[in-house]
Amino acid sequence: MHVLVTGASGLLGSQTARALLEAGHTVTTLQRRPSGVAGARDVRGSVTDPEAVARAVAGTEAVIHIAAKVSVSGDAADFERINVEGTRALLTAARAAGTRRWVHISSPSVAHAGSSLTGDGARPADPERARGDYARTKAAGELLALAADAEAQAAGEDFRALALRPHLMWGPGDTQLTERIIDRARAGRLPFIGSGAALVDTLFSANAVEAIVAALPALERVHGESLVLTNGQPRMIGELLSRLALAGGAAPPSLHVPVAAGLAAGTVVESAWERLPESVREKGDGEPPLTRFLAEQLSTAHWFDQRRTREVLRWSPRVSIEEGLALTAAHYGGRTV
Amino acid sequence: MSPRIPGAPRTLRSSLPASGVPALPARLPHEACGELEGFDPAWSRLVTVETFDGPRTFHVLDTGPALAEAGLTPTGTILALHGNPTWSYLWRHLAQAAVEQAEADPEAAGARRIWRVIAPDQLDMGFSERLPHARAPRPADPGVRRIADRIADFDALVTTLLAEGAATASGAPASAGDGGSAASGTVSGSAAGDTAASGSTTGSTACEHPVVTIGHDWGGVLSLTWAARNQERVSAAVSLNTAVHQPEGAQLPAPLAAALAGPLLPASTVHTDLFLRTTLSLAKDALSEEAVAGFRAPYRTAAERGGIGGFVADIPATDAHPSHSELQQLGEDIAGFRRPALLVWGPKDPVFLERYLRDLRTRLPQADLHRFETASHLVSEQVDVAGLVLDWLEEQFPAAAAAAAPAPAYAVPASPEASTRTDHIHGPEAARTYVETASGGAESRTDRIRESGALEGGAASAQPLIFDALEERAHDRSLASVDMSQSPPATLTWAQVNARVQAIAAGLVRMGLRPGDRVSMLVPPGNDLTAGLYGVLRAGGVAVVADAGLGPAGMTRAVRSADPQWIIGERPGLTLARLAGWPGRRLSVSALSRAERKALGVEASLEELIDAPEATLPQRLPRPAPEADAAILFTSGSTGPAKGVRYTHERLSALTQALTRVLDVRPGSSLVAGFPPFALLGPGIGAISTTPDMAVTKPRTLTASALADAVEAGGATMVFASPAAYRNVVATAHELTLAQSTACARVRMVLSAGAPVPLELMNSLASVFPNARIHTPYGMTEGLILTDIERTEVARAQAESEQAVRGPEADARTEADELAEAAGSSAADAAVANASAVANAPALGSAARTHVSRDLGVCVGRPVDGVRLALAPIDADGRPADLLLEGEEARGVLGEFIASGAHLKAGYDRLWSTDRAAARDTLDGLLWHRTNDIGHIDAAGRVWLEGRVQHVITTPEGPLGPGGPEAVVDALPHVRRSAAVGVGPAGTQALVMVVEPEPPAAKRLPAHGPAPLGLASAAREAVRAATGRDVAAVLVTSAFPTDIRHNSKIDRSRLARWAAEVLAGGRIRRP
Repeated sequence: MHVLVTGASGLLGSQTARALLEAGHTVTTLQRRPSGVAGARDVRGSVTDPEAVARAVAGTEAVIHIAAKVSVSGDAADFERINVEGTRALLTAARAAGTRRWVHISSPSVAHAGSSLTGDGARPADPERARGDYARTKAAGELLALAADAEAQAAGEDFRALALRPHLMWGPGDTQLTERIIDRARAGRLPFIGSGAALVDTLFSANAVEAIVAALPALERVHGESLVLTNGQPRMIGELLSRLALAGGAAPPSLHVPVAAGLAAGTVVESAWERLPESVREKGDGEPPLTRFLAEQLSTAHWFDQRRTREVLRWSPRVSIEEGLALTAAHYGGRTV
Repeated sequence: MSPRIPGAPRTLRSSLPASGVPALPARLPHEACGELEGFDPAWSRLVTVETFDGPRTFHVLDTGPALAEAGLTPTGTILALHGNPTWSYLWRHLAQAAVEQAEADPEAAGARRIWRVIAPDQLDMGFSERLPHARAPRPADPGVRRIADRIADFDALVTTLLAEGAATASGAPASAGDGGSAASGTVSGSAAGDTAASGSTTGSTACEHPVVTIGHDWGGVLSLTWAARNQERVSAAVSLNTAVHQPEGAQLPAPLAAALAGPLLPASTVHTDLFLRTTLSLAKDALSEEAVAGFRAPYRTAAERGGIGGFVADIPATDAHPSHSELQQLGEDIAGFRRPALLVWGPKDPVFLERYLRDLRTRLPQADLHRFETASHLVSEQVDVAGLVLDWLEEQFPAAAAAAAPAPAYAVPASPEASTRTDHIHGPEAARTYVETASGGAESRTDRIRESGALEGGAASAQPLIFDALEERAHDRSLASVDMSQSPPATLTWAQVNARVQAIAAGLVRMGLRPGDRVSMLVPPGNDLTAGLYGVLRAGGVAVVADAGLGPAGMTRAVRSADPQWIIGERPGLTLARLAGWPGRRLSVSALSRAERKALGVEASLEELIDAPEATLPQRLPRPAPEADAAILFTSGSTGPAKGVRYTHERLSALTQALTRVLDVRPGSSLVAGFPPFALLGPGIGAISTTPDMAVTKPRTLTASALADAVEAGGATMVFASPAAYRNVVATAHELTLAQSTACARVRMVLSAGAPVPLELMNSLASVFPNARIHTPYGMTEGLILTDIERTEVARAQAESEQAVRGPEADARTEADELAEAAGSSAADAAVANASAVANAPALGSAARTHVSRDLGVCVGRPVDGVRLALAPIDADGRPADLLLEGEEARGVLGEFIASGAHLKAGYDRLWSTDRAAARDTLDGLLWHRTNDIGHIDAAGRVWLEGRVQHVITTPEGPLGPGGPEAVVDALPHVRRSAAVGVGPAGTQALVMVVEPEPPAAKRLPAHGPAPLGLASAAREAVRAATGRDVAAVLVTSAFPTDIRHNSKIDRSRLARWAAEVLAGGRIRRP
């Protein structure tokens, strides 16, 4: 099968592209920087660039849409342009080019407003209630993909979509979460918000890759659905952060911030951040040290019912959290306990 | 209802016009008030019938038209009557449940009858016609609808509607109609516009299907009265909290008396809605805002509340009251009711007190009873009364019978069975015996009543009863009983014990104790309890043994539920009885001073009965029937209010025989009785019993020295105690003198009962009692011995478990690999490829076959001789199946244990629904008991306990008992004990281990909260290796909540709630 993977310069995109190649598929990648995936046809450009998109979808039978603006801060218009309009353009182009399968990488944040989740299934994406520009635009993008699926069924067109929502992905080489945690822990800037006992689901990156690959055959059975993707092994947030810090060779966090203070600080930082000079913002990883959304994520339970996901994908995570931590420790020269 | 309940909500006041309360026409609720939550407008209709003072229009909840609309023909009718100040809204749950039951597939297994529910709003109440009142009603006012009038109203109305039902049943379904407003002489409704002749006479109303009544509050007494006066038409009657009659001399409940006293009455009932609001506040936790609005809907203005005031005004507080004679009459009439009856009771009702329930039960001795300990006046708003009532009706009138016999004999005036007990029906407390079915064991659920007076029966007297062993030893002057709590220790010979028992029995009978009377025993174990208990049994009384370990509140609740006629106690127990207002005539153990007698309300003492001149005369007391109740024991109350458990005489005898068979306790054996239930049985076997010196509520106060002294004093070779007691014995063993150690060395058998015993404790005990076999039977109040195991077998089982090689690990890995291949994937990362997939073994599906080769939990051995043990598999949502597995089929399956045997309980006491659920299995026609304990049976046939049904953890990989993970975590260093709990929704729970650390380690840890990483890793890895399951979190807490009775049963439900709070990210409190 000829598969287009967007956003293949990131860890998830590049590993997915490699896994597909190893499995004997033909792979095209689309992203702004070189993908570095040997054996893939690499198209460079943004999903907002119609010409690049047209070149990328040509001849493909399936799209795995990973590219997105992922951040907890930034210009609202950028989120809208990439996560909504980019998705819309790609969908239109893909269907016009005769692409029949669509795996949409989304986020659990599209369906909830920051409250505690314990063993929940995947609820419908809701841009109205989603918190922050990222979640809101990802929700709109997911709805576009599912609407295209429904529209195609109604029109008798062979086009199917499935949305996957990986939750808090981490692993060796992951810059989005893993390395930020490790860096902050090394700098002594990683706090516990509240008790650190909130139970949170996460996903080891290699498992995410396998789940995404499994979605292609799954689309022949099930489509038009959203599935949250996790390791199915929730952990207390404090324990996980401590273990990731240790795996990265840093000391576990010892700074405790009460929940209320964390939420308040997050709100303040969020509103002040955009007004800070570029030079200050670019220090560190370019993200604000704490947002209200992040404070909520770190202080309330977020874990999911994985039964439907495993049933649909006929997949279960091969690497346990503990094995993932061992691999991460081996990668960064850290410890497991 | 009380107008002075604390916290009652603010009242609404609206003034009445000077002309008083005006008449108002009947209305349809949805037209007057819009839709009300839970009340289907299709059920509403207005019906006009001729009453004694002319045609009146009633609003009626009637599911008949809705059933007809659905093409369903009722096969039974429920006539429901509300009380004051409610309306037919009270029956919406019953209507809904009955309609849902009716709509179920009639071909499906377990299909039930189609019940039509007819629930009128009483006149002047609900949405029925309002009567004019010159002023807010007072007791003697004319125009108040009297009790007699209301019964006549009900009769006129249901006669009309039942006749219509008969027409419907014969093939004339109601047609959808206009739903217009009511006019005199017609019946109209929203869904049915059919008409009925106004004031149709009672004619051919013998219906072809059962007609049952149900009532609540004053609707209870009114409906029971109507049922009793119309037995040719009524098949059964049900009542929730109600009061039939004010017993002579008894005061009205204070709140009601206050409400009736002059000026307060109109203010609380009519001018304001205080009475209504107060009533609703009694169920405030259970009522939604919408439901409160539903109850209030017809009573929003003073002009709508005349009936509430009228109803209260008609309560005959004095014998000059216009309704006084009618109330006397209906009380007698209800006692003549011969049909099956069910009473459903909320004991927290501040007005319809226990004494009214007692009065009802003497009038309706055939009644089944279910008490919902936590419920109050509006019991049907707090618990599922509708489900219980439909279950009970199904048992009385099975749907199968409806299909087989279209014209059942319900309409026959009186069955022969009923007529045989006419003589006893008015007796204050007819003794009940239960007729066993021919298949043996299984109780007749209809509780058919056999003759109650003649206890001396031909076949019955042949069976040995528990006190026979004493009578056989009437002239034996050897040692029978030693009480180490006395100083010096008090000893009794067999002759003395028997003399005391006979004297007490005779004395009790002289005082008026009747067979079947219940006697609460508030006496600590020892000679006095032995004499008192056997005396009560000999007299034909039923001993109510409420363990002081339940605590004062728990004991009060337990004793109230058993409702004894007598109390025998020591000062502390009698004081509690006095303070808590327990029912029953009181006797003390030792003779009290006159002042103390008066203060405690004590009539006599056991001492006086023993010393009475009559006591020396030869007595010939009748023998109780083997099937008659002998004792009520109570469960520990660790899972809700303690439940009363009934033992009959034959079952008590069977229990003594089981002790002989299984543990070789026989005549002449000598035992130390440190565990109450077993302690009571020694004298009945003819075994010498020694009560050690210990505080009965605190088993941990038993020291090694005290135990050794008891062994020495009684020459005992057997010791019975609880694990908590043995822990302290082991801890204090170093204090033993040489002589005491020598005494301990004579002990041949040590028995630990009440909770599982770890092997380490058994081994420690073995060093205190070097020549003893150490047994730990498994059982509960409902079945004291089900299995048994000896120390060496425990060690063998444990060693086999530890040696077992885990097999499924390889399987899980292969399956995961296959899945990965099926997904068209290969390893994404070379380093990752070697990782094992054990932590994510694929889901097991709904079958609960455990995936481990290692047996985990607590091994309690094999079923004892006389017990049949079966297993009901647990499904993915944690529910035990109805299917019972035995033998090979049951091996390796996680399930609930179900037991049967002659020495198990006869049933639960006054908990009809609980009893039915626990004894629902019918395999081989036996009476089975659902133990609520879960676990599995190993390849060698040994039983392993893994927890309680409600503690099953339903992970996505399948259900799991807490016992397995706990066994491996308990074995880790620094762990004192652990609890496995599930957090999250059923079927996809996260497994959480809560650890109580050993004291030295605990000092370094936070008191409550996440475990340190090292402990978390160790626990997670141990559980993964042993069970293949993933532990989401490991928490620590410095003190586990445990049940107060044994101080050893961990309160896992509470820990689970605590863990869920902690893991939601909230503030960490103590569990």
